[in-house]
Amino acid sequence: MRRALPLLIGLLAATSCLSPAARADDTLSFPVLVPLTGFLSLEGTSQRNGAVLALKQTPAGVAITSEVVDTGTSPEAAVTALERAAGSGTVGAVAASMLGTQMLAMLPLAQELKLPLVTVSGTASITEQGNPWVFRFFPGDAVTKAAHARYVVEELGKRQPAIIYQTTAYGQSGKAHLDAAFKALGVTPVFEEGVDPAAKDLLPVLTKALAAKPDVLVLHLHSGPTALLLRQAASSGVTLPIVAGSAMHQPSTAALLEPAELKGVCAETAASPISGDTPEVKAFTDAYRTAFGKEPDAFALGQYDGMTMVLEAVKAGARTPDAIRKALSSETFKGLAMTYKSDGKGNMAHSAVIVCYDGTSRVPELVKRYDDPTLAAK
Amino acid sequence: MAERRPAVILIAGALALLVYALAFASPYGLRVLTVAGVYALATFGFQIVFGLGGALSLAQGAFFGVGAYVTGILGSRYGLGFEATFPLSMLVPFLLALPVGLAVLRLESHYFALATLGIAQVLHLLAVNLPELTGGSNGLAGVPAAVLFGWAVPRGLPMAGLVWGLVGLGGLIGWRVARGRLGRSLTMLRDDPLAAGTLGLDVGRLRLAAFGISALFAGAAGALAVHTQRVVSPEVLEFPVMVSILTISIVGGRGRMAGAVLGAVLLLHLPEWFRFLERGYLVIYGAALLLTVVLAPDGLTGLLHRLTARLYGGRPRALVEVREPPLPSVRPDGMTVEGLRKSFGGVRAVDRVSLDLRPGSITGLIGPNGSGKSTVINLLSGLERPDAGRVRLGGQDVTGARADRLARAGLARSFQAAALPAGAGVLEAVAAARLAFDPDAATAEAHARWALDRLGVDELAGQSCDGLPAALRRRVELARALVRRPAVLLLDEPAAGLTDGEKADLADLLRDLAGEGMAILLVEHDMGFLLPLAGRVLCLDRGRVIYDGPAGGVRQDPAVTTAYLGQAGSA
Repeated sequence: MRRALPLLIGLLAATSCLSPAARADDTLSFPVLVPLTGFLSLEGTSQRNGAVLALKQTPAGVAITSEVVDTGTSPEAAVTALERAAGSGTVGAVAASMLGTQMLAMLPLAQELKLPLVTVSGTASITEQGNPWVFRFFPGDAVTKAAHARYVVEELGKRQPAIIYQTTAYGQSGKAHLDAAFKALGVTPVFEEGVDPAAKDLLPVLTKALAAKPDVLVLHLHSGPTALLLRQAASSGVTLPIVAGSAMHQPSTAALLEPAELKGVCAETAASPISGDTPEVKAFTDAYRTAFGKEPDAFALGQYDGMTMVLEAVKAGARTPDAIRKALSSETFKGLAMTYKSDGKGNMAHSAVIVCYDGTSRVPELVKRYDDPTLAAK
Repeated sequence: MAERRPAVILIAGALALLVYALAFASPYGLRVLTVAGVYALATFGFQIVFGLGGALSLAQGAFFGVGAYVTGILGSRYGLGFEATFPLSMLVPFLLALPVGLAVLRLESHYFALATLGIAQVLHLLAVNLPELTGGSNGLAGVPAAVLFGWAVPRGLPMAGLVWGLVGLGGLIGWRVARGRLGRSLTMLRDDPLAAGTLGLDVGRLRLAAFGISALFAGAAGALAVHTQRVVSPEVLEFPVMVSILTISIVGGRGRMAGAVLGAVLLLHLPEWFRFLERGYLVIYGAALLLTVVLAPDGLTGLLHRLTARLYGGRPRALVEVREPPLPSVRPDGMTVEGLRKSFGGVRAVDRVSLDLRPGSITGLIGPNGSGKSTVINLLSGLERPDAGRVRLGGQDVTGARADRLARAGLARSFQAAALPAGAGVLEAVAAARLAFDPDAATAEAHARWALDRLGVDELAGQSCDGLPAALRRRVELARALVRRPAVLLLDEPAAGLTDGEKADLADLLRDLAGEGMAILLVEHDMGFLLPLAGRVLCLDRGRVIYDGPAGGVRQDPAVTTAYLGQAGSA
């Protein structure tokens, strides 16, 4: 050990001369830290594509770089990815995972590193931590679930919903907000049950739900389970109206089903780009198809809008993460899906839409828009 | 110098990590290093229960998660500091492991693995469905940093220092456990559970101890994981955590604490090196793992061990001084068996067998193959439980007693095929038979040398059991039986495969042992070896005693001739 100590000191002295000096260039980095593997890979890939498409709109006179890192589904991997991103040049903002538990893990570090996180995570609690560095470009559960419940009660006239939700952070958060929204509307669900995302047969829960004599099925499931339940409902001859969660609007979910199996199915979502209700959205959808050979969904559009707002701030002169944070906190931005404005907690999106399938195609029609952040209270 | 080589490699590796952490690592690098330390700590425990004990416990990830939740709940909800949360995060998984272990440790291999996996699933369900306590699927955010003596340990180098300090401490404890009596006993148990019992090792107690210790390590690692992430959610209880620990153990080197460190550092860094490939890094990661497992089936530390042995020659074994083991304070007065019965399904393997093994006597047990000789030995040594009958050891009723209890009471046995653990050294194999009696492994080795010396094979002490010729294997196994100074010795075909000269040596040894007051039961087919040696002989046929009398009368007995020896009478 006596020999090892001088060796250690020598190595330290030598390496201190070799340590890289702080880089001093004007390049702004916008890392994309999203789940590309695991159970959220479909949605994560949409998020990635939306961010990458937006970052192609480089503002004149500003050099930007971007690296895509897979965060998997563990909070630990997300935090490590954020620490890695923070070490690679001047970070302007981070396109951050849509997985709620990953966001919750990244938030303290983002605050410590002073980095804005731009996400499409729907988990309510991420904007309830008092953290000024998070910006959600997707309506939170308070908005979407209020729209979900209102459509069921006010438009369909149903008052005996059966709720089937996922036993994940996404599912539990959505279920809690659905309960609150139905309660505000004076409706008590006749059935509520959570299912594991790995469940391979949803007929038992469907059978139990039908036994409770509901007049509508309200789903809040991930993409795969949504498709599985709808297929099993169709094959079982279920004729009740079904209003699903935002996973249903994803083209990748619809692709798992025959158009006939979708007849009468509706879903809440922030937007449905493939429904193309404006020329700008149609242009986005075409560009997305060209770039990635896939159909875009609301997550892609939300992340696209978020990163576009970040780049607008850069165009307007923001060159530091704090300047970008201030711009995101205070500015109003008219995106493709909706107009974004922070509510002071980082919730930027306050609109939701309802789309429905007519049974002849996998492209839904936009049937109702809700543009009110206090929907549930009404 | 050769003896110190592993220590030099370890110190060099530790120094390299230290230099990297102090001079090269970015905050990101330090985080990866910190997480690697957390997993190394969890894997130390797994090395003990799985690597040494051979029990594939898939609950290690669950204990990790329990430790994480204890710190998360107590830290974020009740504001308790590190000095309270850290020990409690170790204690709670440990307390959970004890009743769970009692319930599942008696299950065999894959059933045990499935049962432990079930524990993890139950805990995951509880974490998701008890949101008031656990925060549900979202988990609990805002877990405070670890606070040591009033100082909140910041992320980066201080946190890495804390974690790796505990890794050093945990590794040292794990290393001492592995090299000590417990680790040696567990290794014996892993390599041959049946033989372990007959050597006096309490299989159930050992497994429970290993399971409990593994939970302590996992809980500590879980607590540190939460302080690193500052959030706890159900992902800590999911299977990928367990898979990571298992992979680290296999890749690093099963049963080795250095393997846990090497595996954790490598496996946590490997995906990071290929992150630029987006999701393609998984292909590289998988290919690298496959390559490692194929090229280094005994792990990277095993590979390093083999390479250094090849480059610099084998490490000379430092042998302890020979010491004669003490005779047991209470030496049972022979063994008496009355009306022993055992059936397997519809086959009656042993039917009303009675015998009396008196001190100083050699009793022969003969009969055709399948006549029940080995079953009798298994019944007497506790590997099988009799359906009926009574067995007394020195006047004490030991009918149906477990093998380890009988071994501790003064009974020893050998097996038909010499049961020496593959890869073990001769000295370790013999010393294993003293682990249940001696205070430490060094004393057991000193006593083992006495037994090897007694059998004239002390020069084998530094050698491996692998590749020993049949005669030497027999002697080493006999040394294992003798080293406990048993009152009753059951030998199952000890002369099989020996030359005439070796048989004569063995006969002399057995006479000496009998002369010292040992009662010996000898199962043998070689009449030329057995009959001059035994005072009395029993012959079995289809589980029944067809002859019980002096050795000289065997060849003349018509029943024995018909059932076993044949008309020539010279089997």
